[in-house]
Amino acid sequence: MIKRAPLILGNKSLKDITDDICEMVETPPNGKFLALLGVSKLLFLFYIFIMGAIVWYGMGLMGVNSPVGWGTDIVTFVFWIGIGHAGTLISAVLFLFRQKWRTSIARTAEAMTVFAVMTAGLFPLLHTGRPWISYWLFPYPNQRGPLWVNFRSPLLWDVFAVSTYATVSIVFWYIGLVPDLATVRDRAKNKIRKAVYGALSLGWRGTARHWNHYEMVYMLLAGLATPLVLSVHSIVSFDFAVANLPGWHTTIFPPYFVAGAIFSGFGMVVTLMVIIREAVPKFKDYITMDHMENMNKIILTTGMLVGYAYGSEFFIAWYSGSKYEVFAFTNRAFGPYWWAYWTMVTCNVVIPQVFWFKAVRRSIPAMFVVSIFVNIGMWFERFVITVTSLHRDFLPSSWGMFHFTFYDLGAIFGSFGMFFTFFLIYTRVLPAISIAEVKPVLHVGYEEDDHE
Amino acid sequence: MERIDQTQKDSNKMSTQDEVGSNKYWLSLEQWRNDPEFKKAAEDEFMTSPLSEDKNQGGWARREFLKLMGASMALTTFGCIRRPVQKIIPYVNRPEEIIPGFANYYSSSFVDGNEGFGLVVKTREGRPIKVEGLANHPANQGGLSARAHAHVLNLYDPDRATGPMVKKGNDFIEKKWDVLDDEIVAQLRKGKVAVLKSSSLSDTEDSLMDQFSKTFGAQIYSYDGADYSGITEAQQAAYGNKVMPRYRLEDADYILSLGADILGTYITPTDYNRQYAVRRKLNQSMNKLVVFEGLLSLTGSNADERHQVRPSEYKNVLLGLLHEIIVVGGNSSYARDEKVKKSLEAYANSSDTVKAVAHELWANKGKSLVLVGGVHAAQDKNLQIVAQFLNEVLGNDGKTIDAKNAPLKGFTGSVSQLAALKTKIENDNVTTLIIHGINPAYSVPKSFNFVDLLSKVESVIYTGDRVDETGALSSVLAPANHAMEDWGDAELISGVHSIQQPTIRPLYDTRGFQDSILTWATKAGNGELSNYSTWYEYLRAYWQNHQYAKNRGFGIAKGDFEEFWQGLLQEGVFVTSKTNLKSTSGSRAFNTTALTTAVSDLSSESISGSYELELYHTSGLREGTLANVSWLQEFPDPVTKICWDNYVTVSMKTAHDMHLEEGDFMKVTVGGESLTVPVHIQPGQEPHVLGLALGYGRTKAGKVANGVGVKASDLATFSNGKFNFAGLGAELAQVEGSTKLANMQGHHSMEGRQIVVEATLDQFKENPAANIHKHKIFSMWSEHKYAGHKWGMAIDLNSCTGCAACMIACQAENNITVVGKQYVTEGRIMHWIRLDRYYTGSPNDPGVVHMPVNCQHCENAPCESVCPVAATTHDDEGLNDMTYNRCVGTRYCANNCPYKVRRFNWFDYTGVEKPLNMAYNPEVTVRARGVMEKCTLCNNRIKQEKHLATNEGRILKDGDIQTACEQSCPTKAITFGDMNDKNSRVSIAKAEKRNYKLLEELNAVPSVSYLTKVRNTKNLKGHSGADHGQGGH
Repeated sequence: MIKRAPLILGNKSLKDITDDICEMVETPPNGKFLALLGVSKLLFLFYIFIMGAIVWYGMGLMGVNSPVGWGTDIVTFVFWIGIGHAGTLISAVLFLFRQKWRTSIARTAEAMTVFAVMTAGLFPLLHTGRPWISYWLFPYPNQRGPLWVNFRSPLLWDVFAVSTYATVSIVFWYIGLVPDLATVRDRAKNKIRKAVYGALSLGWRGTARHWNHYEMVYMLLAGLATPLVLSVHSIVSFDFAVANLPGWHTTIFPPYFVAGAIFSGFGMVVTLMVIIREAVPKFKDYITMDHMENMNKIILTTGMLVGYAYGSEFFIAWYSGSKYEVFAFTNRAFGPYWWAYWTMVTCNVVIPQVFWFKAVRRSIPAMFVVSIFVNIGMWFERFVITVTSLHRDFLPSSWGMFHFTFYDLGAIFGSFGMFFTFFLIYTRVLPAISIAEVKPVLHVGYEEDDHE
Repeated sequence: MERIDQTQKDSNKMSTQDEVGSNKYWLSLEQWRNDPEFKKAAEDEFMTSPLSEDKNQGGWARREFLKLMGASMALTTFGCIRRPVQKIIPYVNRPEEIIPGFANYYSSSFVDGNEGFGLVVKTREGRPIKVEGLANHPANQGGLSARAHAHVLNLYDPDRATGPMVKKGNDFIEKKWDVLDDEIVAQLRKGKVAVLKSSSLSDTEDSLMDQFSKTFGAQIYSYDGADYSGITEAQQAAYGNKVMPRYRLEDADYILSLGADILGTYITPTDYNRQYAVRRKLNQSMNKLVVFEGLLSLTGSNADERHQVRPSEYKNVLLGLLHEIIVVGGNSSYARDEKVKKSLEAYANSSDTVKAVAHELWANKGKSLVLVGGVHAAQDKNLQIVAQFLNEVLGNDGKTIDAKNAPLKGFTGSVSQLAALKTKIENDNVTTLIIHGINPAYSVPKSFNFVDLLSKVESVIYTGDRVDETGALSSVLAPANHAMEDWGDAELISGVHSIQQPTIRPLYDTRGFQDSILTWATKAGNGELSNYSTWYEYLRAYWQNHQYAKNRGFGIAKGDFEEFWQGLLQEGVFVTSKTNLKSTSGSRAFNTTALTTAVSDLSSESISGSYELELYHTSGLREGTLANVSWLQEFPDPVTKICWDNYVTVSMKTAHDMHLEEGDFMKVTVGGESLTVPVHIQPGQEPHVLGLALGYGRTKAGKVANGVGVKASDLATFSNGKFNFAGLGAELAQVEGSTKLANMQGHHSMEGRQIVVEATLDQFKENPAANIHKHKIFSMWSEHKYAGHKWGMAIDLNSCTGCAACMIACQAENNITVVGKQYVTEGRIMHWIRLDRYYTGSPNDPGVVHMPVNCQHCENAPCESVCPVAATTHDDEGLNDMTYNRCVGTRYCANNCPYKVRRFNWFDYTGVEKPLNMAYNPEVTVRARGVMEKCTLCNNRIKQEKHLATNEGRILKDGDIQTACEQSCPTKAITFGDMNDKNSRVSIAKAEKRNYKLLEELNAVPSVSYLTKVRNTKNLKGHSGADHGQGGH
């Protein structure tokens, strides 16, 4: 019988675990961290300026035009929504499948989901021509008739999908945090910390009844979150699939988008975990090479799923016999945006193939590079879908090109500033690894009689 | 306040009387004694509050609080009432004819160069906002050009001069009219007065000018920016009669054009469009249009057959045709004229094409029409003589050419008069020069050195509407009124008299040119003119003594003059009793000496240089007169689809040989002059020819036009008493850099899709639905039901020539914004109806098709289902509505629109410079930033006509509602109406077999449909209609 590899390295005691994880929350940040936060915040401020200018002067500042009505904002929205998926997959789906290795990365993956959805959620609101009334997208009783939203519009489904996803993710994440918040509260040495974490931990005392309720709620929420992994990106894909544009109007989109989302999400988790491991060396004992390798395997799998989807799209375009479809796909690969298409294919399908090699799967620098490529590739996937389909559709007279402006680039890079600002602050105010979930798996790999 | 003061005073008085025992009536001894405690109690008696027993208690008492709260609430709500802060005064005595919210329509006319239009000017609350064609005017019969629509915006041009000015040093200082008039009269009295003005179409004005000439001994010279003196001089040489013939395309079965862009810019293109289209309607014999040209013009794009020749070869073609007909064919009476035959000898070796055309021409003798044109040929007398002779040989004179009964008026200007003025100035015989109606410092080519002449004149009085190129060189700017602010008249065709009514009081301190002339002549002591205090009086009197007196008892002249005048103002046009517009006029005797001279002159012309440059007019800007009207600058050229620039057009071959990319900068050199312009690669252009548009490169026209393009006329040379606008030997060299030309259209091939369906005449006769590929469409849903009206539109591609007047008509009607060159290149042009132009076949010799595309008002509208806020919805009359107020601006609808007709307000476009805002149509919302907009099928007009019909208690008739595009269309290609009414014009059009829907296979079920284009030719260039190999079923 093969002995299970330990999930936590370094022969930790239970107290060690608490100390290790709480250290980040209890010690003031060092200069390196502050510098990183400073850069992120600057980028975030820049983002606010960019978006402020767009709200003030109009969407015209960005590269969108007729025929390309959707550009960077929607591309980046789908990108960030996709990122979120890995978090839910790790924390909910792997939880339901009793994948114990998930415990040490679940918290941060989940946090990534929350921040990614926050970042993403702003885009559809800010990309509208009149963002100050984008609340009209929500169905609420009003004095205009009442005038309701159009329930046939996929954009409306999006509103529901994303807001549900954001709500469930936040609740799920927060519920999981409660026992750890209580731990931080109990260790708190000053009044303010005690008060703040005390309030946040909702009166957690760790009684058997508490644990009982907690586990039950956590499992129910995991069950609730699991279908969202599939539904959210399916619905986001409807924005495209329900439209009649060649290149958008395809039935493969929902599964293809979900696979892509998980793919990009894991890419981002790997990126973040590498950073955390480097920033907090102690965490290497918790986020072990085995974790990283597992995630790389998922990247390899979903990368190939996505590659299959790319191929299948071409087959169906040809098989459909619709000249508009055939043209749209030929144009993708060989039209003026060929570079975007081949960037996408290279980053998403070709590069992850290096993960067939164990050495690469377990090499931190290699996986970091690959994960960055995956992120780039997945952004381009959405760009290819959105822009190349729009820029040449039915009537050739209306064909056009999309051109990046300063504001487009500002929105893309600025959104990373927003994401990382939240993420960095999170690592300092909340336990980045779930103490309560790690402790029960401490024994894995150490006990001789784990399996009879 | 006063009353309050009074009460206070009274109470004070009372208190001083509060002495012991002073109370007349008392209730108790305490009161009588004026006991202080009683006084206090009495004071407080009714002032105590249950919550504030003690007066000295702090804070607000309950009642006080309620009172104040009530008051403040009242104040805040009062503040919400949207009452203007400034004082407003309603009409105390409302002008009888003005009802706020209702438009008034006035008949008027507009002369653009020499092209005239009968107009109906739509005014709202006293300001003209749109012009429409006067349906019963013989000159345009309801059709209008894009430029005529732009005329309105020109009125509100913010760059217009606001009053008379005098030059002091380099600046212009304002001056009062009365002071200025005295100065001018003193100056004019010095003698040696010359007047340079554009051609006059008005006898009234001419008679006034005669009086002026008498008073000051002034000489009058005429010249036009678009000069057609070649034709009139050819007429004089050939027939002894200086006249501009009226070409009757309507009666021509066969039209041969050599470079004459009759559908775009030549002479009276709007009328030609109409006449041409009459013969394209398929219920009668269809005409055939054959074009020989170097550049690809709008006319060439419509041709049934198009042949590429250099402009310098026009003479070879014309003389070759004559040789074929007269010498080879031995046809016509001239076949016996040895002198003529001898002069044609040198042109014996014609190509097969010319032979075939000669054969067809002779077969259509008496029913054909030969035109040679282009900016150059229009003033080349010799070419025109030859063309006229060909018409003569074919027996067309008097049949398709009317120079006798009712020729065109105007066209009196000529280069020779300009040259005569030049000689006079050079001989110091001009002290004062009055310039009116023309901007010679811009429009006369540089090679003429007109600018230098101005400095030799002591005083130049310019009546232009701004300090433009000529204005800057003048001593006095005496700005004339805009035509919409002034009275006037014009005889567009002999015997067809139009009146021009002012529809707004002058916006600024300007004065009509004729009023100025009248004032100056009167002040100088002209006795005859002193009977009239205004030009209006003069005009009326002239009409009474002439048009009315000569036509007593005819038409509106039945009653007294007042009745006649009323009738004239209402109808806008008076056709005299003798006018004969229809029947043939009989031929005239042709002077063959004129021909032989012309032939020998033409034979001696030769060109040196690698390329042959042709300068041409675009239908938007033409000679550059309305250049500062943004609508026209953003009006894409009907063929190249480029706006906001001029560019050198080169053939595919030249581009290939020189490795050129669109937009590369080129240096075009003619003689010693050169210009640097971007290049446009033009399919279908003759490889040796280069094209460059005139009308650009204005330097002092105003904010819109300044610096747009280059002044192409700098390359025009002057020789033998005429300008050379074509056949200029030119060198072409690539220089550093490139620019992006603002091309409205993204791609120029139909990519084998069924977009514009074309068929040959033979194919059509065999099967009216030829080349239309119908798709089998099935739906899960039942059809939509429309109980009342169901609006729809049919666009006949066979009538549509692509002139694009509808674009500007729509822009004027619907307050559509102009975005500027940068944003056009970024794909943000706003036109609600656009003209798509596709090339078919080989780029070297392509077929060209035009297609107007507006919102198709689909029954299964793809835009409607995807809007998350239901801002775009279907109404119960089949219209796809857009609720601007509800629109959040997700642009999903635009993405999902297969026709890409939706336009987005990327920025706030509402803030136009004053007084341009006065041109806004109050019936159509000015769209805010961030909302989507698109064609409404003129919903405002639909609603208005429906209300009108309801108020008048009648049923809406077919044709009551006309959309702006339909109304303006000179060819009547667009038909709008109720599809539920089986007898409506639109239903009849849609019942035609050649009716098809754009992108039918998507099952969006558009309410707009198209009718196949039919060409009178053997073979179509390239594919016709759909590629049958593929396509969804």
